[in-house]
Amino acid sequence: MTPRSETAKLGFRLTLPAQLLVLFISVFPLLMQAYISLTDWSPLSGQPWTQAWAFWNNFANYVDVLSDDRLWSALGRTALVMAVCVPVEFLLGLGLATLFMDDFPGKRVLYSILIMPMMVVPAVAGYMFFMLFQSGGPVNDILSMFAGGPVTVAWLSDPTLALVAVMVADIWQWTPLMFLILLAGLVGVPEDQIKAATLLGANAWQRFTSIVLPRMKVIIGIALAIRVIECFKIFDTLFIMTGGGPGVATETISVYIYKIATQDLIWGYVAAIALSILIVLSVVCVWALKRMARVPG
Amino acid sequence: MIRLENLVKRFGPFTALKTMDLTIEDGEFVALLGPSGCGKSTTMNMIAGMETPSEGRILFGDRDMAGVPMGRRGVGFVFQNYAIFTHMTVRENLSYGLRATRRPASEVAQRTAAMADLLQLGPMLDRPAKGLSVNILQRVAIGRSAVMEPAIFLLDEPLSNVDAAFRAVMRTELKQLQRSFRQTMVYVTHDQLEAMTMADRIAVMDHGVLQHVGTPLQIYNDPANLFVARFIGSPGMNLLTGQVVEDATGVALDLGGLGRSPVLAPAQARAARAAKGGVVFGFRPEQAALVAEGQGMAMPVSLVERIGARTILHLGVGAGAVKVVFENDAGFEVGKMLHFAPHPGAVRLFDAQTGTALGGH
Repeated sequence: MTPRSETAKLGFRLTLPAQLLVLFISVFPLLMQAYISLTDWSPLSGQPWTQAWAFWNNFANYVDVLSDDRLWSALGRTALVMAVCVPVEFLLGLGLATLFMDDFPGKRVLYSILIMPMMVVPAVAGYMFFMLFQSGGPVNDILSMFAGGPVTVAWLSDPTLALVAVMVADIWQWTPLMFLILLAGLVGVPEDQIKAATLLGANAWQRFTSIVLPRMKVIIGIALAIRVIECFKIFDTLFIMTGGGPGVATETISVYIYKIATQDLIWGYVAAIALSILIVLSVVCVWALKRMARVPG
Repeated sequence: MIRLENLVKRFGPFTALKTMDLTIEDGEFVALLGPSGCGKSTTMNMIAGMETPSEGRILFGDRDMAGVPMGRRGVGFVFQNYAIFTHMTVRENLSYGLRATRRPASEVAQRTAAMADLLQLGPMLDRPAKGLSVNILQRVAIGRSAVMEPAIFLLDEPLSNVDAAFRAVMRTELKQLQRSFRQTMVYVTHDQLEAMTMADRIAVMDHGVLQHVGTPLQIYNDPANLFVARFIGSPGMNLLTGQVVEDATGVALDLGGLGRSPVLAPAQARAARAAKGGVVFGFRPEQAALVAEGQGMAMPVSLVERIGARTILHLGVGAGAVKVVFENDAGFEVGKMLHFAPHPGAVRLFDAQTGTALGGH
């Protein structure tokens, strides 16, 4: 036996308890979910979940998933939030990070202020924006100052504006994360290479596209992946601000699942939706990560 | 022509360059030589425009470079770590500047190919720069700057990352490249061998002060002060503090325990007598000969260092220790007295207080 496989074996043995624990807390619920998703079981059925086989429904939940309009519109809305928030957060974060590469007075203080939103508990941020966007709230007050007359927009009661308000809150809260990750990436770009490019006559834009961006590819990929996944699960801040309303105007996939799980209590169906999304999302993520891995660092 | 006039550079409370005046002629190869922290790299970064002088002027010809950004100075720069764009191929590296300045594609292709030929990079043009060996990376770094045909070429310790054998090859190669480019080259190094072998003139620096500018031989033979005398040469010049004594035979120096120096030449005798703060007696270790007992200086051999081509003898210990260099086959024994004397004309005198050379040899 080679020493290498000897070490590998020891490593396996040492991590075995941890692996079992991880298996238990991730694989077990997953299997349970898959099991329930094939039945009409609900906690109101009077049977423990282990008896769910009695409600076997021949994949009816999965058939329903495909024809659930409310689910599909929630998915579409989630995609819209993602499509707006992630690029905006990325561009803002990149811009701010680029600014922070230079020295300027007050940089440290500004840095702390900038990353503060990330540290606010999402529920608190939710209440904060809930209050900001009231029709008599500060947002309207500020807009009044510019408009010259009183502005009394009912932000959270208007289907479109409610979605805008929710996006603003998300951008406010998560741009700092983008900023932090991208700043770390920028700092990692070798200064000598940038100087070398400058001495060879490249202007700022050329340096950015030919040196900085290629060198940050991986970190940009990671930042976008984190935000896309997180944004897909957008829930807490949004739920406190609008509760998914008005009507279903801000109902994202998480809000929808939460609602049917807590209000309608059809857990078999909830499990089916969640599992479908998990599978689709995993496939997409694995594909994206493989593509990223092919990019030469 | 590069003119540095009263150049000063301060980083906060730290003065990296106290004052620098230097003129570098067109087509000249000048080495900035000195130990770490002497201000040589700072000087070069200011020439390139990466640092702004705190005081003084930098002129290219008659043009003041103040406010001219580094991209517009027409300066080629080879970084110590080469700063190769590792996410590109060799070809993309070589053509980077031409493409950035939007030259026509045909010109880019032609000049890149010509540079690749000159540097023998042809076969690896399409290889990714990542993972190439140091000697190839170095040629890419030089080629990438040279292809822009800069009037001034700055090299920041380009050989410090390569091994000794390859360094010797590259010294020759670099010198030949400079001849073929006919460019003004400023070369920063802490390695005196590189400076001596390649440079037309050497500017020795220490603690932010220019100590001596001259041809390699001038600096070696007639160091301007004690620092240069010690720094140049391997081993450096022997330096012994002495008192001026005068008798019927002439003026000499009493070197304490070492006895008396040979009689000084008349001009040196005058300079030594004029020096108020004492005199330092110096001679190169290579410029001494064995003499009969009682004629020269006598010291016990404390260590025999055989370095192949030659043998270095360490004589005495402590402040008065001396090194002398002889042929490799000479037989010496540790502990025995050695009788030796510097060659006539090899003696250099320095003012003990100011450290500056006393003229007249």
